[in-house]
Amino acid sequence: MARRLELTIGMVQEAGLAPERVGRARGLLRALSWFAARQPLGAIGGVIVLALIATAILAPQLAPHGAKDAQFTQYLPPSAEFPMGTDHIGRDILSRVIWGARLSLYVGLVSVAFGVTLGALWGIITAYFGGWADGASQRAVDALMALPPIVLALSLMAALGQSVNNVIMALAILLTPTAARTMRSVALSIKESPYVEAARAAGCSHWRVVFRHVLPNSVATYIVLFTVNIAYAIVVEAALSFLGLGAPPDEPSWGGMLTAGTQAIETAPWMIFFPGLAISLTVFGLNLLGDSIRDLTDPRLRGGLG
Amino acid sequence: MRKYLARRLLLFVPTLLGASILIFVLMRLVPGDIAEILVYQTGTESSAVQEKQIQQIREELGLDRPIVVQYVAWLGNALRGDFGYSYTQRRPVTDILKERFPRSMELAFLTLVVAVLWAIPLGVVSAVRQNTWADYTVRLVSISGLSLPIFFTGVLILYGLVRFFQYLPPLEFVAFVDNPAENLKQLIWPTLAQAYYISAPIMRLTRSQMLEVIRHDYVRTARAKGLGERAVVYRHALRNSLLPVITFIGWWGGRLLGGIVIMEIIFAIPGMGTALVQAVSYRDYPTVQAIIFVMALVYLTINLLVDLAYAWLDPRIRYA
Repeated sequence: MARRLELTIGMVQEAGLAPERVGRARGLLRALSWFAARQPLGAIGGVIVLALIATAILAPQLAPHGAKDAQFTQYLPPSAEFPMGTDHIGRDILSRVIWGARLSLYVGLVSVAFGVTLGALWGIITAYFGGWADGASQRAVDALMALPPIVLALSLMAALGQSVNNVIMALAILLTPTAARTMRSVALSIKESPYVEAARAAGCSHWRVVFRHVLPNSVATYIVLFTVNIAYAIVVEAALSFLGLGAPPDEPSWGGMLTAGTQAIETAPWMIFFPGLAISLTVFGLNLLGDSIRDLTDPRLRGGLG
Repeated sequence: MRKYLARRLLLFVPTLLGASILIFVLMRLVPGDIAEILVYQTGTESSAVQEKQIQQIREELGLDRPIVVQYVAWLGNALRGDFGYSYTQRRPVTDILKERFPRSMELAFLTLVVAVLWAIPLGVVSAVRQNTWADYTVRLVSISGLSLPIFFTGVLILYGLVRFFQYLPPLEFVAFVDNPAENLKQLIWPTLAQAYYISAPIMRLTRSQMLEVIRHDYVRTARAKGLGERAVVYRHALRNSLLPVITFIGWWGGRLLGGIVIMEIIFAIPGMGTALVQAVSYRDYPTVQAIIFVMALVYLTINLLVDLAYAWLDPRIRYA
C-alpha cells in the first residue's frame, strides 16, 4: 500500500513536473528556431556574436600568450607557431586579437549600459515631468548633438586623458543624448495613454507612475537602443584607438593594432589584416542581430520588402 | 514657410552657443591647464621658478579670471575671428583654420558628391530589378560597406596602393587653385574610400524607398496612361523617394566630418582633422577649442540646409 502510494506520488510528480520541464526546453528551442526561420540573417549574426562572447570569456584559455608579452622576434609573418604573425615589438598578434575581443566587448557593453541607461532615465523623467527642466535638458541634448560624434569623443578624450575607463566614460557621454531623445519621444506618447491617466485617477503618485507604468512600457525601445549601440560603441572605441587617442598603446585594442600596422604597411601587412577582420566581423554580426531585433519589435517592418 | 524658416534659424544660434559653452567647460576640466603644460614641457628651472612662470602665463592668458569672464572674452574674440594663439604651432589659431578649413571642406564635398552620384543610381537599379543578380550585387556591396569600419577600408586601400602602385603619401599638399589635377590626384583615394562607406546606407535607403513608392497608385496611374518606364521611374518614383534620402544625408553629416578626420590621418592630408588630432595629443587647447567650434558650426549648417531643402522640396511642409 505504502509502496503504491509512493509510486502514485512519483507518477504525479513525473506527470506534473517533467512535462513542464520538457515544455520549457522545447519552448526555448522553438523560440530560437522561430527566430532563425523568421530572421535567417539575424541568426547568422547571433552565431557570430555568441562566438565573440565565447572568445571574450575564454580569452585566458584560448590565447597562447599574454596580450602584453613582447618577448618574440619582431615582424614575424604568419606561421604555425604564430598563426597571425608578430607585431613591431614582438607580440603574438593572435593572442592580442583574442584579448582584443574581451576589451572590445567590455568597452562596448559597459559604455552602452551606462550611456543608454542614463539617457533613458533622463529622457523618461524629463518627458514625464516636463516644464523648464525638460526645456533646459532638451537644449543640453541639442548642444551635445551639435558636435560630430567622433569629434565629441575626441574632445572628451582630450579632457579626460587616455585610459580604457576614460574611453568608456567618453562613449557613455556620447551615447546619452541620443538615447535621451529617443526615450523622451517614447515616454511622451506613453504619458498621454489612458492607462497612465487611469493610474493617476486611482491615486498613484507620479513616481509610481513613472516606475510602474512608463518605464516597463518603454523597455522594448530600450532593448533596441542597447543592441544597436553596442556595435557603434565598439567601432568608435576602435576609431579612437586608431587615432592614437583611445586605449593606451599596450592595451590590445583592435583599433590601436591597426595603427601600429599602418606604420609598417609595406613590411608587415598581417598586422592590419587580422585586427581589421576581427572588427569587421564583430560589427557585421552585431549589425545583423541588431537589425533583426529591431525588425521583430517593429510591426511595420514585418514581412517587409527590404 | 517663413515661420518655419524663422523658427529653424532661431534654434541655430542657441544651439551653437550651447555647444561652444560645452567645449569651453570641457577644456577647463582638463587636469593641468595650458600654463602648467607649457612650463613643465619646456622648462628645466627649479620648481619655485616654474611656479612663478605658471602664475605669469596664467595672468597673461587670463586663466586666473572666473570661467564666465573667460568664456565671454573667448566668445567675443572668436566672433571677431580671433581664436587665440597655438603654442605648439607657434602661430595664431586663425591662421591654422584659414589654411586647413578649405582642404577639409573640399574633401568632404568631393566625398558627398561621389557617394550620391553613385549610390542613388545603384539604389534605383537595385529596386527596379528587385531580386535579380544586379540587385544582389548592389545589396552585397552596400552591406559590406556598412560592416567595414571606415578606418579599415581606408587602411586596406592604402595597402593596395602601396603594395601594387608604389604609392607614396604626398609630402606637401597642393591646393586646387594652384594645380587642380595634382590636387584631385591627392584627394581621390581618401574620397573614394569614404564615399564607399557613406554610399552604403544611401544606396539601401534609396532602394527601400523606391520599392515602397513604386507600389503607390500614382505610379500605376503613370504607367497606365502610357508613360515610358524611364519617365515613370525618374520623374514619378525617384523624385518622391529622394526626400528621406536627403534628411539622411544631413543626419550622416556628423559621420562625414568624423570620417574626414580619419581619412586625413590615413592619407596624410594636412586638414582640420590632422590638426585636431595633433592638437589633442599635444594638449594645445586653444586649437582644439577652435577646430571643434568650427566643426560644430559646419555640422549645424549642414543640418540647417538639409532641413530647409526638405521643407522646400516637400510641399506639405512648405505650405503648412
